[in-house]
Amino acid sequence: MTRVIRLIVNGTSHEVEIPTYRTLLDCLRYDLGLTGSKEGCGVGVCGACTVLLDGKMISSCIALAVFADGHAVTTVEGLAEDERLHPVQQAFMDAGGFQCGICTPGQVVSAKALLDAIPNPSDAQIREWMVGNLCRCTGYYKIVESIRAAAERSRA
Amino acid sequence: MAHRIVGKPIGRLDGIEKVSGEARYSGDVMLPGLVWGKALRSPLPHARILRIDTSKAKALAGVLAVLTARDLPDILVGRRMFDMPLLARDRVRFIGERVAVVAALDPDIAEEALALIDVEYEDLPAVFDPVEAIKDGAPILHENPGAYDGAPSERPHPNVQSVLRFKLGDVEAGFRASDRVFEHTFRTQLDHQGYLEPHAGVVGIDEDGRVQVWASNKMPFRLKELLSQALQLPPAQIRVNLTPIGGDFGGKGSVMDLPLAYHLARATGRPVKMVMRYTEELMAGNPRHPAVITMRTGVSKDGRIVARRVKALFNSGAYAAFKPAPSVNLGGTGMGAGVYRISHLLIEAFCVYSNNIPCGHARSPGEPQMVFAGESHMDMIARELSLDPAEFRRRNLLRDGDLLANGHHLEHVRASETLEAALKASHWSEPKPGPWIGRGAAMTHRHIGVGFTNARVRLESDGTVTLLIALPDTGTGAHLVLRQVVAEVLGLPLDEVEIEIATTDDFTTDSGVGGSRVTHTGGRAAYHAAEKLKEQIQAEAAKLGEPASSLSAIAQAAAREGRTLEASHFYDAKAHGAVTSFTAQVAEVAVDPATGQVTVRHFTTAHDVGTIINPIGHQGQIEGGLIQGLGFALMEEMKTEDGQISTLSLGDFKLPTIQDIPPLTTVLLEDAVGPGPFNAKAIGEGSISAVAPAIANAVADACGVRILDLPITAEKVYFGLKDTERRS
Repeated sequence: MTRVIRLIVNGTSHEVEIPTYRTLLDCLRYDLGLTGSKEGCGVGVCGACTVLLDGKMISSCIALAVFADGHAVTTVEGLAEDERLHPVQQAFMDAGGFQCGICTPGQVVSAKALLDAIPNPSDAQIREWMVGNLCRCTGYYKIVESIRAAAERSRA
Repeated sequence: MAHRIVGKPIGRLDGIEKVSGEARYSGDVMLPGLVWGKALRSPLPHARILRIDTSKAKALAGVLAVLTARDLPDILVGRRMFDMPLLARDRVRFIGERVAVVAALDPDIAEEALALIDVEYEDLPAVFDPVEAIKDGAPILHENPGAYDGAPSERPHPNVQSVLRFKLGDVEAGFRASDRVFEHTFRTQLDHQGYLEPHAGVVGIDEDGRVQVWASNKMPFRLKELLSQALQLPPAQIRVNLTPIGGDFGGKGSVMDLPLAYHLARATGRPVKMVMRYTEELMAGNPRHPAVITMRTGVSKDGRIVARRVKALFNSGAYAAFKPAPSVNLGGTGMGAGVYRISHLLIEAFCVYSNNIPCGHARSPGEPQMVFAGESHMDMIARELSLDPAEFRRRNLLRDGDLLANGHHLEHVRASETLEAALKASHWSEPKPGPWIGRGAAMTHRHIGVGFTNARVRLESDGTVTLLIALPDTGTGAHLVLRQVVAEVLGLPLDEVEIEIATTDDFTTDSGVGGSRVTHTGGRAAYHAAEKLKEQIQAEAAKLGEPASSLSAIAQAAAREGRTLEASHFYDAKAHGAVTSFTAQVAEVAVDPATGQVTVRHFTTAHDVGTIINPIGHQGQIEGGLIQGLGFALMEEMKTEDGQISTLSLGDFKLPTIQDIPPLTTVLLEDAVGPGPFNAKAIGEGSISAVAPAIANAVADACGVRILDLPITAEKVYFGLKDTERRS
């Protein structure tokens, strides 16, 4: 069974016909060609597929695309404005907040949501918020540093 | 020597594609007409395949091909020892072995088709434990393993894949000369590398009949050779296109699903993508070998090690195919000697077949297992000798000129300085801050990786320089390091050196990424190529008669004569050198007596390093390896019962999260004596191996419970505490 749904992805409206069993992640990646969001664990644990649905973090690998019908989705591709990287993206580069980069789309989307909710987070708040984004490369120290730096940059 | 760019804390300038979502990993590659491959896997650990009925799967709308072993050539694949069929032929040897493969228009249809394949099996007796597997009468996995290509000749039992030995002096004479002898046995767990990108690959056959490959593989040239063998095609017919790799940690060096994707591409006339689900990674990836390690050490009255015998059984699973070393064993086994001078030494490691997931290489293969055993053993002996564990280590540390069991005489040995630095930074000799708190130390050392790399540098008409390299980006920041090296040599700003990623068409060979080699081999290749280009530039400037000519003027002058200024270098480091890199670590832990839960209160890591080319990247390697070591120590375990892994998702198989990281102190003892460019050493595998024993030793110090098998879970500590209570 297929259905036509409308998604507002990174500010652009898309109409797409999909099977009802299609995940939001697969819809973004293969129907819309936005391959920034990644599938890691596939069960909503690792956070590599994190996107914002109406501003709230969700694991797009365990969300059906039909449930996002009519809603706004923000992916990693939508964080930069007018070619200017979001402060979180810039800070991840400056502080070495990633290595292989496979978890990074999810990390920066979650970090953006954090700074939207808590513009000046403590290290404890950073760790609490980011617990759903696994990273196997960095050991996380530089992710904490990156987010701290992004918060400072956003305030400046 | 002061450098302009080498040694500067430069962030990941190379990472704009990664933070913006534009980086295309192999799983992101889309091609016109692309279809999806999926594999059906065995539900049984050891069985004969009586019949496979694919008719219903073939009839499903959207399915383009279904293949079984009958449809494929009878080829065995591997990295060094070739013992693994493309698809199981008549017999399956582990749960998760591929028995059929499907190509369909989308991945969901492909999975639906798998459920329609009907396979009839007949159970065979199976064996799971390596100790059982090498007993007389154990079920035999392979009737004649010695006949496989690449199989080592020594085979004390048909279920032994390989034996690796390190020997110094006369171990039995050493035990006779010892005052006391101690023996302990340790076990380590099955552990996945934990990269978050499951194996992914796309294979297409282009209009010229060439096989185009995009794969999460860190050794493109070796992959081309292995595919040439697996597909029975001339190497020139295969091109491996490099993509970023979403984490490797030793696990991304095999052909994995690529031969199957090729056969599906042949059968369908379409490019085929195969991406493993993480569940498939956990049941059929190529994880770290579990081990059973017995250490026997003889010491003199004054606490000097006289002799040591180590016997390790690595549970290798159903195939040897994933091990790349010529020994078909784990080189880290040599670390059974630890960082100590031992005149009489015998280490023997047996890789054993069993009906489990086949194991492969994982960050510093064999070392976390061996160092856990060796460094726990050291503390247990120190306790028996009533010596401070640090003092017992001091009395036995390697020194300049000492001989390793691999035949190397060591130079620039900084074991002692590294240990003392870690002890000082961790306040080792100060009183502990409270009850149920303990400190533990552990050490290791590691060679600097060897291999071979091709590099080409080219002066562009705008005066910038391009470095062409065929080393894939596994995430370490190596490409940035290589740009720094070239910029330093040529006196250019970093942003005037670009990197261009080659394919396997552009060079003849390269040993790829792994074994802590890239800064060394890639760095030296880039360094020497840049030196050659610099000479050309100087000669060209002299010819123009204007030594101060800009690089763009020089490039354009050459271009007017139809020339490009370009230089290549092939750097080949064949054998490990005399300099290694030492690590000393101290864990301070708290044990909750009510639950057995272990909390790492603080961790200190001290490293004997060469010239640091990029401090951010260098520290990132230390931190990443250390937290992998922490996961190995405390939480990671692929639980297996009768060959069935029960932790088949990242929800059950637990990797450390951001909440698990302890406060960290890093101490770097820089000494510019490494073989890398600007005398760099390696760092990628230096921080992982000593973490588990440091924590185990700290737990024993905190509460008296000695954990002999990893991971150190709350349950094990709790029952250890109960045992202690009962006995007292």
